[in-house]
Amino acid sequence: MSKPKVGFYWCASCGGCEEAVVDLNEGVLDVVEAVDIVFWPVALDFKRSDVEAMEDGEMAVCFINGAIRNSEQKEMVEILRKKSGLIVAFGSCSHMGGIPGLANLHDKESIFNRVYHTVPTIDNPDGTIPQVETSVCGTTVELPEFWDTVRTLNQVIDVDYYLPGCAPPVNLIVGAVTAILEGKLPEKGAVLAPDKALCDECDRRESKPENLCIDEFKRPYQIIIDEEECLLAQGLLCLGSATRAGCDSICVKGNMPCTGCMGPTSRVNDFGAKALSAMASVANANDEKDVKRIIGGIADPVGSFNKYSLPASYLHRKVRK
Amino acid sequence: MGKHIIVDPITRLEGHGKIDIILNDDGNVDRAYFQVPELRGFEQFAIGRRAEDLPQITSRICGV
Repeated sequence: MSKPKVGFYWCASCGGCEEAVVDLNEGVLDVVEAVDIVFWPVALDFKRSDVEAMEDGEMAVCFINGAIRNSEQKEMVEILRKKSGLIVAFGSCSHMGGIPGLANLHDKESIFNRVYHTVPTIDNPDGTIPQVETSVCGTTVELPEFWDTVRTLNQVIDVDYYLPGCAPPVNLIVGAVTAILEGKLPEKGAVLAPDKALCDECDRRESKPENLCIDEFKRPYQIIIDEEECLLAQGLLCLGSATRAGCDSICVKGNMPCTGCMGPTSRVNDFGAKALSAMASVANANDEKDVKRIIGGIADPVGSFNKYSLPASYLHRKVRK
Repeated sequence: MGKHIIVDPITRLEGHGKIDIILNDDGNVDRAYFQVPELRGFEQFAIGRRAEDLPQITSRICGV
């Protein structure tokens, strides 16, 4: 029997998700024993035409990482959707928009202006900016169209499953591949990670008071962070109570607060709103003035609560004038 | 005009790339362009973030 064919692709991403696959170490040998990797630009030489030449549904599954922020990424994922039985959104960027999704606080014009005109390291005396088409020597050289708005994968194509995290934890990748090979997948649309909050598996959970009351949110540089006490109880903006478990709380183990890369549990639609609500619920406030003072003391709320999830949130992007 | 060769994508590297090579009538390279079709705009969206978040944000420029 021929092995199932598998593809990996990247869109607006950093390559960290590819590293997560490499982090399988020798485990990757078990994966290639069971499947044929037929498309993976970082590791194998395939051109777009090779993918276009595949039969529809030829790949059993394609893991796609990265947000969708230009026309080429949209075209590629549309092709991959046709060629794949299953599409798995791999990592925070394809799941919720990720760090590149913070660009939704801006638009194409302001990003181009910064990157190609005003950034201190630019040397661009002619003020050139990327063009979709440039005529040269009687032919046309093309670049993809850069969008105003970053989108999640499921805002562009139909997605079957999600592997959360920035980058997805190795044990979850192994679990997903195993579930696919054994045909033991949950219902379509599921996030392939434990459906509980990070606080539930955090080593510091015993030190989280039952009735937590925060008088003031602190920033990491303002305090000496205790290495055993609940970070939220220390006043740090730790989003573990709003964030899905499954990462083995590696940030908290490194004495840094959770910033929500795993996204919400299945009972929540908007991660940022849930995280904000979770923080408001522990504010030691008796009236609106107290709430304003405590929550108002959080620097950059949109970037803090939606660090990985702005395109997936109800906010989606900054309103255009 | 000669031939226009497009290598898209460039593979086995971290990042996105595309090469356009334009040959003249004699079959020699007239122009060659290395294009990076991907931009995310960290230069702009890092502004306004908390300073302590920047090590986490900028490490996603390249995760390799």
